[in-house]
Amino acid sequence: MGSTTEEEFKEKLLWNVKREVKQIMEEAVTKKFVHEDSSHVIALCSAVEACLGHMLKRRAAGFLRSDKIAALFTKIGKVYATAEEVCRKVQEQLQQQADITRRTQSTTMGQEPLRRQGSVTGRVPQPLSAQAIKHIWVRTALFDKVLDKIVQYIVDNSSKYYEKEALMHDSVFGPILAALLVGPCALEYTKLKTADHFWTDPSANELVQRHRIHGAHRGQEASPGRRPALGIRKRQSSGSMSEDKFAASAREYVESLHQNSRMHLLYGKNNVLVQPSLYLPQIGKVSKHLDDTWCLLSADCGGTLVLVSQDGIQRPPLHFPPGGHLLAFLSCLETGLLPRGQLEPPLWSQKGKGKVFPKLRKRNSTARLVDQDSDDEPVAADYVFRIVYPGHRHESTVTINYHHTTGSRAPSLDDDEEEEDRLHAMISMICSRNLTDPNVMKDHGDVMEMQGFGSSPSSWQQAENASHASSCLSCSVGGGSSSIELPGACTCMHERIPLKMLCHNMKRQIVSRAFYGWLAYCRHLSTVRTHLSALVNHNIVPPDKPCEASGGLSKDIWSKYQKDCKNYKELELLRLVYYGGVQHEIRKEVWPFLLGHYKFGMGKKDMMQIDEKIAARYKQVMREWKACEVIVKQREKEMQSAIFAKLSSGSSIDSHVMKLIHRDSTLSNEVFMSVDEPDGVGQGTPSESDNTPTMTTVVNPVALAPDERSLVEFDSPDSGLPSSRNYSVASAHSQILSSIDDGQSMEEETEEEATPRGGVGEASGRDSLSEDRLCSQLDKLATNSEDVPLSLSSYTIEMLDTVALNLHRIDKDVARCDRNYYYFTTSNLEKLRNIMCSYVWEHLEVGYVQGMCDLLAPLMVILDDECLAYSCFTQLMKRMSQNFPNGGAMDTHFANMRSLIQILDSELFELMHQNGDYTHFYFCYRWFLLDFKRELLYEDVFAVWEVIWVAPWIASQHFVLFIALALVEVYREIIRDNNMDFTDIIKFFNEMAERHDVQHILRIARELVHKVQTLIENK
Amino acid sequence: MAGGSVSECKEYLFKVLVIGELGVGKTSLIKRYVHQLFSQHYRATIGVDFALKVLHWDSKTLVRLQLWDIAGQERFGNMTRVYYKEAVGALVVFDVTRISTFNAVTKWKHDLDSKVRLANGNPIPSVLLANKCDQKKDGTNSASLIDNFCKETGFLGWFETSAKDNINVDEAARFLVEHILLNDKGVPYEESNGDRIKLDQEPIPAESKSGCC
Repeated sequence: MGSTTEEEFKEKLLWNVKREVKQIMEEAVTKKFVHEDSSHVIALCSAVEACLGHMLKRRAAGFLRSDKIAALFTKIGKVYATAEEVCRKVQEQLQQQADITRRTQSTTMGQEPLRRQGSVTGRVPQPLSAQAIKHIWVRTALFDKVLDKIVQYIVDNSSKYYEKEALMHDSVFGPILAALLVGPCALEYTKLKTADHFWTDPSANELVQRHRIHGAHRGQEASPGRRPALGIRKRQSSGSMSEDKFAASAREYVESLHQNSRMHLLYGKNNVLVQPSLYLPQIGKVSKHLDDTWCLLSADCGGTLVLVSQDGIQRPPLHFPPGGHLLAFLSCLETGLLPRGQLEPPLWSQKGKGKVFPKLRKRNSTARLVDQDSDDEPVAADYVFRIVYPGHRHESTVTINYHHTTGSRAPSLDDDEEEEDRLHAMISMICSRNLTDPNVMKDHGDVMEMQGFGSSPSSWQQAENASHASSCLSCSVGGGSSSIELPGACTCMHERIPLKMLCHNMKRQIVSRAFYGWLAYCRHLSTVRTHLSALVNHNIVPPDKPCEASGGLSKDIWSKYQKDCKNYKELELLRLVYYGGVQHEIRKEVWPFLLGHYKFGMGKKDMMQIDEKIAARYKQVMREWKACEVIVKQREKEMQSAIFAKLSSGSSIDSHVMKLIHRDSTLSNEVFMSVDEPDGVGQGTPSESDNTPTMTTVVNPVALAPDERSLVEFDSPDSGLPSSRNYSVASAHSQILSSIDDGQSMEEETEEEATPRGGVGEASGRDSLSEDRLCSQLDKLATNSEDVPLSLSSYTIEMLDTVALNLHRIDKDVARCDRNYYYFTTSNLEKLRNIMCSYVWEHLEVGYVQGMCDLLAPLMVILDDECLAYSCFTQLMKRMSQNFPNGGAMDTHFANMRSLIQILDSELFELMHQNGDYTHFYFCYRWFLLDFKRELLYEDVFAVWEVIWVAPWIASQHFVLFIALALVEVYREIIRDNNMDFTDIIKFFNEMAERHDVQHILRIARELVHKVQTLIENK
Repeated sequence: MAGGSVSECKEYLFKVLVIGELGVGKTSLIKRYVHQLFSQHYRATIGVDFALKVLHWDSKTLVRLQLWDIAGQERFGNMTRVYYKEAVGALVVFDVTRISTFNAVTKWKHDLDSKVRLANGNPIPSVLLANKCDQKKDGTNSASLIDNFCKETGFLGWFETSAKDNINVDEAARFLVEHILLNDKGVPYEESNGDRIKLDQEPIPAESKSGCC
């Protein structure tokens, strides 16, 4: 073979690799990840193997071995630790595969049951495809992100393994191959849910367990930040290999079930602080590799920027910490490209906010840009920016403008030394990048650029632009033609043309650009600040000053306070509660203070006064609604008899059912009502109710009395009762009167009605408030039958309907309120009902909404005092009622959650966005509605509630947001790794209810508040 | 809805809503259906709860029902729209011992039909459940009445059920699933079950039984 054909062959081999790299990079850009079984992976592996196998020395290939690559890897593994690790993993995988084959053979028909079982216990490692096994060596190295290193190693030591003419031995081709593989080795490879994921619908518990197993090993590997840096993984030493083998394979097994340990991103929740110092060096480092030009940027709000050069080669992703750094960078870049180049699509300028990401309709949509809505934050999405040169439009003017802008705006930044430092870092980075770039400054078209301050933008832009391989060459001779966009036109490699003569100019120019870009960045940060600053208190109250607060509010401290309450600072007590909670024994005493029933610093007398006031009020309210309840009950009875009447007479009632009943005379009503008391009372008056528009049914009040006090049996209608429209005050009146005429112990009845009007001044004391006592008082009340019409007229029909509806709902929910919890005995449930009815009576316009019982129950448990619980519940509801459908707080919470996650955990936000609609954050609904009551065990509810209550004074008015955020963060890996969608995530958290580690979550929540506080403080 | 098919077995995942006034026994019905038990000790549902029922429909069909137990008071919030999304069937429950819950059925049905539709624009199949029939007074016949009501309101049919005594629960669900499967014939998977399809179709694009596009 002639050397030319040999050269061509090598080129062909390399070209193949290049093509596959390009393919895989494209897949990565469009899909954000590459599936491990992607055809591109296989193709790349085989292309790489072809190169590796080229003219391998027979000794290196192993004389007898059929698999050259295996031999090569094994050989290298003996001298190179990275390769050794790969070898070990390959062996493990092969072992696993062998196991699987054995298992499948032994249970020929067992395939299906095995799978099914998988839905409970976890997925069996999937058998690798034949292709995957064939390329297992290169494949494993690739997934481990070390393929480039191994190839580099081989290249460095190529003489040992290769013939002279081998591709790997070639001083040009070898290093290129290694360099080509850097990109693919920076990608994330994933085993996402596959077709059988319907079978693998693991319970939340299982997910958490899996995560724990996985997390344990991760804990060893990861830095305290929990997210190891890209590519840095501790290798097990060769000595411990056999000992660890079992653990390692178990770990691998678990990983292979669901997770991909390679999926660590550089910055996640633990790196939420704005730390430009972190990414600047990184960029600087990466920029050194950039000896090729690039033209395509793929960015996402999560802070990952991928540069793709024209020939499809992707640079290792640049990770930016959240907080607008990516945007700032892009903004700088965009500015830097001006006037001749630009980002396509351009960043959006928004009034008062600076640059924002353009809004994308959908990733695959051709029309990328849609109208920007009023969202404060950039949407998470993939962005693909192209660097294009539309023309030499504003060359000289813009140059002048820059000059001007820089001059006028720079001073405003001068006072911030820190930012200036960062700026310098960035500038020097960009400068060094440009200095090392071979393609810098090829544009001679504009003399002004060569000389002028802040000019020659096109030279820099070309540095970014790979599409100009050919135009660069041409323009270096011909001038201004460089502005022509040549997408995808050339793939040829550049010669390096050093242009040091322009460096001086470059530096000055870049200074101006960078300043401009920095402005955009600052503007963005100020947006973040404004938005977040409303969510937290700006004054950071530390956990350890004046003393350590993590011990919480103990009995001792509380008694000290009580002895000397004047001198004790309220804030200090609250701080203790915020950081350490309240000792359980004193909760009963402390909670009324925290909830605002008492005020801190109050004397005993004042407290007594408040108690008395509340007690009186409570008694009053109780009387009112209890009176009303009697009427409601009566009315129900009456209506039932009315229905009987209607049925028997066949006259029409304005109701759907009744229409139907009317139509079908054979129908019995009993499907619709199990009439509990179809006693003679109702049936006795059918004709009467028929003939008169107002129904004057005689109801036996004695029969009612026991009913009304029973909780569960109470069988009242909801709204829309057939006769409700016909029911009038007059009818109620006449009904009562007729009952009186009946002479059946009407006294009790009318007494109760009389009380609300009369407002009878009873001897009030807290002790008089027990249910029994109250009832007996009511019973004993003297009555004046003349009050009856008066009291009745105070209820409108609508009101009676509303009360009936609410009473019914309350009864339904009270009956099933935490019935497993020891506290809720029948008598305590009755108290619960009293308080709830009292509250609802006072807030009839809102009425009872499901969930209110849940809010009251823990207060009852702690306070164990009806009146006190009533008062505290009323206080609590001042805030909580906003979350119920009539208040608007829930939507605000969702919006805030959205912003917070976007800013603090943009990776997760991205995932949520990717999986559809659940940026609505409806999975938080129950959390916010009930202050996490349903998510936690009782003792944990206490702990969390206290902190929520005091948080407005210490940290944040919206502490619930941070608890919610903490919950999301605690399980973020599970959410992410299982690629949960809206349903999955609600389901997951529903299943996780009452299994959270509350102290851990509270700690994280407090940390998150602190993070946002410092973010705002530090700008 | 066509799930991935494994060894010629068709798998379906159906999202089925269970709605009705508070306290009519939705949660109990689901618990009975899925876990074969009746408990007095459930709590009021807040927001939504889930349950999954796997039905071995026939030798070649496997149906997974994802039951959405939606809180009885949610109709008053604006959340039902989110909850209803992509549902392919519904069980509307009322309590035979409380007429008001039957009156509310019309409202629930209306809420349902106004917020969720099949891909072809039809209302999603729904079945009416007259729950707590064990507490009914006696066996008087009201079938024709409710038959008419179902016709008028657009229910496929109705069942007298009892979660407590396990009456008709399986039958009602089966009846609904039959209709869902019928509907499924013409419904492309993508539209009825947004996210899942992407994951399923990738490995086995040809197996999906979607009718068009």
